[in-house]
Amino acid sequence: MTQRQPGATLAEPGTDRLSRPVLEVTDLAVSFDNSAGGPRVQAVNGASMALYPQQTLAVVGESGCGKSVTAMSTMQLIARPPGRFDRGSILFEGRDICTLEERDMLSIRGGKIAMIFQEPMTSLNPVYTIGDQLLEAILLHQRVGPEEARGIAVQAMRDVGIRKPEERLGMYPHQFSGGMRQRVMIAMALACRPKVLLADEPTTALDVTIQAQILELLRELQRDRDMGIMLITHNLGVVAENADVVCVMYAGRVVEVANVFELFDEPLHPYTRGLFRSIPMLREAKHRLVTIRDVTDEPAEFRRLPGAVPWWPDMPQGARPALAAGRDEHVLVEVRPDRWVACWRTPELEARPHRRPNLAFRRGDR
Amino acid sequence: MISYLLRRLAFMVPTVLGITLMVFMLLALAPGGIGAGLAGSAGQLSDTSKVAQMQAYFEDRYGLNDPVIVQYARWLGRISPVKFGERDLRTPSGERVAPPRAIDDPPLAEAFPAPTAEVAAAPYAPPAGEQLVPEFKKLQREAEGARRDYIGSVRQFRDALAEWAKQQGPSMAGRLDSKGSARTEDFRGVEFPPDSPGYAKLAAAAAAMRAKWFRASAARERALAAFRAGPYPKSGIPLLPGLVSLDTPDLGVAFSKNRPVADLIAAALPVTLLINLIAFPISYLVAVPTGILASVRRGGWLDVGSGFLFLGLYSVPTVLAGVFAIGFLANRQYLGWFPVSGLHDSAAASMTFLPHTDAAGLWHRGYLLDTAWHVALPVLCLVYASFAVLSKQTRASMLDNFSADYVRTAKAKGVPRKDVVMRHVFRNSLLPLITMFVGVFPAMLAGSVVIERIFTVPGMGSLILEAIDLRDREIILANTFMVACVNLLALLLADILYAAADPRVSFNRA
Repeated sequence: MTQRQPGATLAEPGTDRLSRPVLEVTDLAVSFDNSAGGPRVQAVNGASMALYPQQTLAVVGESGCGKSVTAMSTMQLIARPPGRFDRGSILFEGRDICTLEERDMLSIRGGKIAMIFQEPMTSLNPVYTIGDQLLEAILLHQRVGPEEARGIAVQAMRDVGIRKPEERLGMYPHQFSGGMRQRVMIAMALACRPKVLLADEPTTALDVTIQAQILELLRELQRDRDMGIMLITHNLGVVAENADVVCVMYAGRVVEVANVFELFDEPLHPYTRGLFRSIPMLREAKHRLVTIRDVTDEPAEFRRLPGAVPWWPDMPQGARPALAAGRDEHVLVEVRPDRWVACWRTPELEARPHRRPNLAFRRGDR
Repeated sequence: MISYLLRRLAFMVPTVLGITLMVFMLLALAPGGIGAGLAGSAGQLSDTSKVAQMQAYFEDRYGLNDPVIVQYARWLGRISPVKFGERDLRTPSGERVAPPRAIDDPPLAEAFPAPTAEVAAAPYAPPAGEQLVPEFKKLQREAEGARRDYIGSVRQFRDALAEWAKQQGPSMAGRLDSKGSARTEDFRGVEFPPDSPGYAKLAAAAAAMRAKWFRASAARERALAAFRAGPYPKSGIPLLPGLVSLDTPDLGVAFSKNRPVADLIAAALPVTLLINLIAFPISYLVAVPTGILASVRRGGWLDVGSGFLFLGLYSVPTVLAGVFAIGFLANRQYLGWFPVSGLHDSAAASMTFLPHTDAAGLWHRGYLLDTAWHVALPVLCLVYASFAVLSKQTRASMLDNFSADYVRTAKAKGVPRKDVVMRHVFRNSLLPLITMFVGVFPAMLAGSVVIERIFTVPGMGSLILEAIDLRDREIILANTFMVACVNLLALLLADILYAAADPRVSFNRA
């Protein structure tokens, strides 16, 4: 078990509002009841990450790796039971979201932390007008009268590039296309000027041109509002173009954290390399596409890190290094400055001081 | 919207026609046919020839001797708001008076010609003014009596014809039907030699029939003249004078009670409505909130408990529950809390409406409480089984929507749980409830046969059950017609409500 050290990794208090993380996930573990009667399903198992204002933190990984559960936990949207917070904390504005009462969550949800989902077609309530749904969010979190709220709604619609917003407020979701609905979802999420936006595959269901527009839009709004975006996606192209920091997850754990340029230049964890290799290349004829497993099954892949063996659950018992007794087998090691890789927790690594992943990097910084 | 409504209403006409045609044919094809109940009622008379004559008269009166399809067309003509031919009259009490019916010529008139003594009656001039109404009533009665005599004599003539045919040997006897009776149209063109055996009897029957026909025709002429003189105002609105008019549907006269069906329904419907108007709100007010709460705390004690209780109640047959309710709750040997049957105390007519205490300090429950006391058990029996379906349906559609993406969106917006449940989940769960809700209307009209029977409540259920027992075509058809119409209108209402509940449903771009 890792010790619980809430706030221990907060950046040094700076005068600059952008130099402190707005959201900090520390050693989060979330599990679910197994309805089949087996052991609990450990959806997230010791994930740590930090998100800064104006930063886009991309969380990537295959389905079921715990990306969405991490995001949903940040909103306390995990149904408990069957879900449960096992350990760890999610710090937001100095408070641990995992321990907040429902009453306190109501003001955070949708107000300070907003979320957009991957299914724009079904994420809006079909029986209310767009205006009703936007106003509901605004009136819940802002002390404004109906007229003023309407003004905010119109502005929010205009911000996301919907033309004739006054007219469109009276329309129903089914009268909107998928891209328009996702814009409405974004308008709804951003109407209350949240500090953090959790974007759970916001463009997966949209066609490519709309994807680009939506992401561009998010980037603009992010700059204007000092908002931190946690971008959950499968799409490495989207990551390459939009993310500042990338957090790769596998089996409920973070396996690699780096700024986007370094990660794409040189992925260190074999899983990350597998992820990149599985992207099909143009002008490359192949019988069979490379799978992640093709990479992780290769023993040579695990010898590249000096002084550490990358953590990998499928590694045969004999190939595993001798582990530090009585502790979690997995540790996120800062192998180079500002590069974290998941490694087996050997006694040598155990002796080293560890910094949790915490990168204030933004694209513009380079 | 308007054009959609008109289209739907227009489509209802063939549907109602189809339903009534099916019911009509079902009645006609039932053993004994439509008149089977009548045969039973006529059977109380002792003399078989009288029975036959009575039955012949009933068949004539209700048109049962025509082909089924003609009978159906005639029924449609009465039920249709568009009437053809001479308009009915309407008495001040609202009763409808049809013109006296035409009388067919006597059968085999060419073989048994009119006697020379038959002289056309002098034209009849009905009296004017105040005399006309009693005169018309008298003439109506006379015409009906003469007609009955004539129909009876036709029956006697047929009997004589059958007897004669049997005496002539196989060539003539072969024309009789399987039951050995004679259908006059099968003897058309047959020679009736005056020296054949039994001819005298046949000729006498023919002469009697002819004479009665003559009297009946004359009586009908006079009644018609009086009818046309207009003892009462005409019924309906003329469209083409003398040819087409508009009028309310005529539900006919019940065979078994000799009363207009509309009157019978007017007496039975309020009773059924009273019971149902108490029962339906109760079942909705209990079942829908229970279903909502059960879905909110799925698997909780309320969910499991209400599911267990409601399904248990649902599994108890109404017949059994009704008998138990009477046996234990109403029987004076047990609890005796409720009356056993009926809708009112025998002294209800003299009660005050509200409960009061009289000068002697005695408490009287009054009409209102008396009625509530009497309907308690029927309402209980009507309600207890309805909880299960309604609450389970509510729960299921709520649960469907709880996992919907837009509910997650609402939660992510920070909507409080109560508002998520009512504003987002319940609002979207309305559609299946609407479908169930509109079923209430036809059910209200039809009444509950079993419960009304058990508690001897004189409602629509009792009326229809009795009508089915007696094969009273008019009541059954009128009931079917009404329930079919209300059902179709209720379905239309459901579609309108769908459009109100779900903006994706629209009639404007259909």
